[in-house]
Amino acid sequence: MSSLLGFIFLVLSVLLSFITIASEIYRKLEFKNFLIISRASTISILFSFLCLVYAFIISDFSNYNVFQNSHSDKPLIYKIAGAWGNHEGSILLWICTISLYGFFFSFQLNVEENFKRLTLAIQHTLYIFFSIFVILTSNPFLINSINVNQGLGLNPILQDPALAIHPPLLYFGYVGYSLVFSFAIAVLLKKNTNNHWVPIIKKWSLISWTFLTSGIALGSYWAYYELGWGGWWFWDPVENISLMPWIAGLALVHSLFMARGERILKKWIIFLSILCFSLSIFGTFLVRSGILTSVHSFATDASRGLFILLIFFLITGFGFLVFLIRAPENERPLDLMFINKTSALIINNVLMMIATITILLGTIYPIFIEILTNKRISVGGPYFNSTVIPILLPGFLLMSIAPILSWQSNKIKKTKLYVFSFLLLSIIILAQSYFTNFNTWGFLGILLGTWIIVASIIAIITSHKLVLSFKYLKNINAFIAHIGVGILILGITFSSIFKIENNFFIEEGEEMKLIDNTIIKFEEIKITNESNFQSLRALFLIKKNNKKTANIQAGKNYYFVSKTITTEAGIYHDWLKDIYIVLGNQEDNKWFLKIYINPLVSFIWIGIVIMIFAGIIGVIKK
Amino acid sequence: MSLRFQRLFLILVTFVLLLAAVLLILFNSQKNIIFFYTPSELINEKPKVGQNIRIGGFVKEDSLKKITINSYEFEITDNNNAIFVYYNGILPDLFREGQGAVVDGIIEKPYTIKATNIYAKHDENYMPASIKEDLEKNNQWKKNYK
Repeated sequence: MSSLLGFIFLVLSVLLSFITIASEIYRKLEFKNFLIISRASTISILFSFLCLVYAFIISDFSNYNVFQNSHSDKPLIYKIAGAWGNHEGSILLWICTISLYGFFFSFQLNVEENFKRLTLAIQHTLYIFFSIFVILTSNPFLINSINVNQGLGLNPILQDPALAIHPPLLYFGYVGYSLVFSFAIAVLLKKNTNNHWVPIIKKWSLISWTFLTSGIALGSYWAYYELGWGGWWFWDPVENISLMPWIAGLALVHSLFMARGERILKKWIIFLSILCFSLSIFGTFLVRSGILTSVHSFATDASRGLFILLIFFLITGFGFLVFLIRAPENERPLDLMFINKTSALIINNVLMMIATITILLGTIYPIFIEILTNKRISVGGPYFNSTVIPILLPGFLLMSIAPILSWQSNKIKKTKLYVFSFLLLSIIILAQSYFTNFNTWGFLGILLGTWIIVASIIAIITSHKLVLSFKYLKNINAFIAHIGVGILILGITFSSIFKIENNFFIEEGEEMKLIDNTIIKFEEIKITNESNFQSLRALFLIKKNNKKTANIQAGKNYYFVSKTITTEAGIYHDWLKDIYIVLGNQEDNKWFLKIYINPLVSFIWIGIVIMIFAGIIGVIKK
Repeated sequence: MSLRFQRLFLILVTFVLLLAAVLLILFNSQKNIIFFYTPSELINEKPKVGQNIRIGGFVKEDSLKKITINSYEFEITDNNNAIFVYYNGILPDLFREGQGAVVDGIIEKPYTIKATNIYAKHDENYMPASIKEDLEKNNQWKKNYK
């Protein structure tokens, strides 16, 4: 029943979208009624999505999608998350998000009526493309042809709280760029002369970027504790394609900061807005088509891939075509100087674009090679580490000084203070790494990370007087975001370069000693039965200086329905290091254990949280 | 300095950065790209000993042997040819005989690989698309592989 209702709501929503577009073309409707129909379309698709969620909650196995992806023994939260844990449901969520962005935009103040109408009409066009895709190739409301009273279950590795909210966050990021796209196209078509649109596009691109950051971070955090590989980023194609719109989006946000009154890189901003959404659709195409061999698993189907590819070419082609025909003129030249803020921001944008292209090449290169030579290659972590990181290094250096550059002159305030602090910092870090284990990349990473933090703090102290107000927070927001990046760089450097891996093969009751004199006692093995899985846990006690500091549990879960095992790494979080335990096999009474000491992993998450915080502050109005 | 000079300067910087990126990409694509073979292709291509490669296929039935607690031997097959693999470490949870797996490793001697990484997909029905294609071509595709 809910399936039928869901489908009706879906079709109704598409019809309402058609009416919205038609009324924009023929101008038959008053603005008030136009908005009502546009919003009704969103409410209808929300109902449709709720119908799907409801079918999952009550385990309605007459719905083919629920039958394929759910099971009545699953905990409620994973039944709900199951609604978007599969291809059909996740694409329904995707179109729901497109519509929602239009919905929220319809309440945006300070936009001319014509402008709002046009943007919404374009947004509805995008919505219709993707909803036709849902109806024709990925309908989540198909009726199960056989009568069953149990479902096939959700992939156990996806039964995890972080992964339950990861797709919605990621989609709110990706799809947010649809609105930025629609808005940019509207700007092109209207040939609007004033620059009132700049703060609006800034707001929406910051919202998308903030969601995208949270989504990627959450996925990365999940990979860290769930996959049991001891790392948090693997340069997997699926990760790369989320990184491309992220970097392009970051370039967009920065290019918007360049806008000063009439002096603005209009063309470039619009180009980036179109690019961000194109990369988002391209990512969806690569993930959903199964063209990329990835260790992440997704439903794959060639016809779906082709369909998305078609939509991709239509939307991107249309976007760039309009851009070519109607690209705005820059009326006033920018304040370019040898070394001022504008030049620094331009170089920043150039670097970000090069990084995006490098990742794109590395990700799709294997596809071209396979088509052309029939050979299969894999481009993995080492390639990306040794190309993308060197490209980003000058950008990081620039970032540490960019906020203190001036807009109108080549002068840098308090140059001596900065040069002095930089030299002092270099000497301290050089000495520190010389007396410990020196590593060139490690040294560079630590220097850049700490320098970005120090330079930002100096800038905050010297240029803004401390007042406890929101305005103050808003003024120093760029520095806060950069401090987040600095902390992130430190976390990445330490956790990847100074990571220690130990293997042990011991019995219950024995103790292990790690390099830093931490003692880990393997206490016992415990087996318990949960509602839909059996868990095996090894309990460990961590002692430092003969004092008990913490307990860790590492183990495996065995899921009855899908007959699969998942690894549950045991992680002890500390501000300075993580102790990461993976339980291996058993022989007689002995167990094989892999123990990683990952220094400063917490800095990665702290850095990202600071960046997200800065994103939110950036969105909120004064 | 004039605006025109500034533009020229920025274009120059962009050009230098682009050139550096292109050189980096070219240099790394020589060094850091790994070829991905099926067992039959590996035997045809005869890559050099010591080369890093990646192979994909099924874990051959009855081939998995545990040598010590954390070292294993097994064969990866495409049902025509098989390659011998040995591995030190923890096998992925979904790794089992008759299922698809991808192995990263170094060629120790012809037809033998020392694995550095082993992947079995999160999904129990996983099979790399390329390998599925090859198996279908050779009529080795069994329905129950899915």
